[in-house]
Amino acid sequence: MINYIIRRLIQAVFVVLGVSVIIFFLLHLAPGDPARMVAGEYATEEQVDIIREQLGLNESLIIQYSIFLKNAIRGDLGTSLHFKQDNLDFILYYLPNTLKLTLAAFLVAVIGGLILGIIAGSNKNTFWDLGGMSIAVLGQSTSPVWMGIVLIFLFAVKLNILPPFGMGSWKHYILPSISLGFPQMAMIARLVRGELVEVLNMDYIKTAKAKGLTNRVVILKHALRNVLISVVTFIGMRVGVFLGGAVVTETIFGWPGMGIMLVRAVLGRDYPLVQATILIVSTLIVLINLLADISYGFINPRIQYR
Amino acid sequence: MNMRRILKSKNLVAGVILLSILLGIILLGPLVYKVDSSQQFAGKRNLPPQWFTGEKGDNMFILGTDGLGRDVAIRLMIGGRLSLAISVFAVSIALTIGIVMGLFAGYYGGWIDIVLMRFTDIQLAIPVLILAITIVAILGPNITNLIIILGFTRWVTWARIVRANVMQIKELEFIKAARAIGAPPLIIIFRHILPNIVTPIIIISSQMIGFFILMEASLSFLGLGVQPPDPSWGAMIAEGRNYILVTPWNALAPGIALMITVLALNILGDGLRDVLDPRLKNI
Repeated sequence: MINYIIRRLIQAVFVVLGVSVIIFFLLHLAPGDPARMVAGEYATEEQVDIIREQLGLNESLIIQYSIFLKNAIRGDLGTSLHFKQDNLDFILYYLPNTLKLTLAAFLVAVIGGLILGIIAGSNKNTFWDLGGMSIAVLGQSTSPVWMGIVLIFLFAVKLNILPPFGMGSWKHYILPSISLGFPQMAMIARLVRGELVEVLNMDYIKTAKAKGLTNRVVILKHALRNVLISVVTFIGMRVGVFLGGAVVTETIFGWPGMGIMLVRAVLGRDYPLVQATILIVSTLIVLINLLADISYGFINPRIQYR
Repeated sequence: MNMRRILKSKNLVAGVILLSILLGIILLGPLVYKVDSSQQFAGKRNLPPQWFTGEKGDNMFILGTDGLGRDVAIRLMIGGRLSLAISVFAVSIALTIGIVMGLFAGYYGGWIDIVLMRFTDIQLAIPVLILAITIVAILGPNITNLIIILGFTRWVTWARIVRANVMQIKELEFIKAARAIGAPPLIIIFRHILPNIVTPIIIISSQMIGFFILMEASLSFLGLGVQPPDPSWGAMIAEGRNYILVTPWNALAPGIALMITVLALNILGDGLRDVLDPRLKNI
């Protein structure tokens, strides 16, 4: 088991390194001269040259990359061109907001999905099942892009009970997290229903029922444990989707998080900030995937890790 | 595969019908409803749908106008064409790359496989949207770039499925027989293995077209996709947002259009999966 963890850790490091390489070289394909952008419009040629020397842009790409890497490990992710601030500080200011939103959406997806899936799965082929699964199919087609608008229109404009923009009270969390979490909730619901139906057909469930346990106990105590395994695996795979969707959701709801920041940085050609943000986001995703993989080994007693 | 089996899947039938209606509107509509999608009617901004209340005849705006006085209905239709075209082309690119990579990784194994898997991990660590946003920033937002970006960032999905299937089929008798008679690897890969993995490819592709449409809409919403004056559902939602208190219809119409289209594609995908391979029922 420890071997597995160590191997995955090394793998994770390689993946993050790979991401950094790709991002670094991608951004260096970008048109525009970073030295001139830092120097400003009115600098003379000599001043631009001095800045270029300072930024180390005259070295070969490989050397530039190693400098970038060295700095990154030490915690220096560069300076934002626009905000003239340390990138890492900037990101760490906005990251918690995004994490809060993502967590809220995550809870919506998991809890909603479990409930919907369990109700549908335990009442197979009844109204609950068909109704629930219809909602799920609809949910899979949603995207924060349009769901956010519809929700804002319904609840904020027409009914006026929930705030449409910004971040503040717990009420501000409701619409964005539903917007972001609903498609995932739909997928989890379908997954849970399918797994539950399969598990309920197994012999040990029939044994439990024969023992006289009530239906609820049977489902919650015995069947659910196996279903949870699939759910955890699935969630581990979808972290990236959550964070990606957060970008759009934040833009729609004016949520002050990393998503909006990234879009503005990209539109403003603030490459150091973009680079730093993507690096941090990817590292986060890799970490969460790693945790999911390891915890999967703990929950599923049948897996043997070589 | 006979008609009865196809008709047995309610999903497939419903999906095909819904999609045909949509495609009919999107592709044929502009031929009947002859309005210019970028023409701005100065005095008639932000009109609500005039379906039931407005004047009949040539000057009726079926779904109202947007903030610049352009007809919403025609923009929905043209935008739909663009979204669909972008999606289909991008899926074609991703499909081609993904299948080739998956075939070779699955058949040869070894270091090709390992490299592919590492690359997959790396690509999956960066959320699609974020990667797409970055590349658009570098290359500039136009339709061609959009297709290329979408195609090149998501081919991994196809590669993984193809690889898994190839690894299964590789061990079957008829492949071993082909190798025994000395068939060269390329022939085995393309003439024997490929036709047998068409089914999962079709299923995945139908699911991904909807996904790509949503991606394009998200990018256009952020201003990084289809540029004005070309219409795009995502961009229309972004513009309509500003007027949501006055004429919500500007933002709702493209939103509903998006929802119905992706829904139709998803139902169709489910139906295809039901008919072609019911084992895959749980995603």
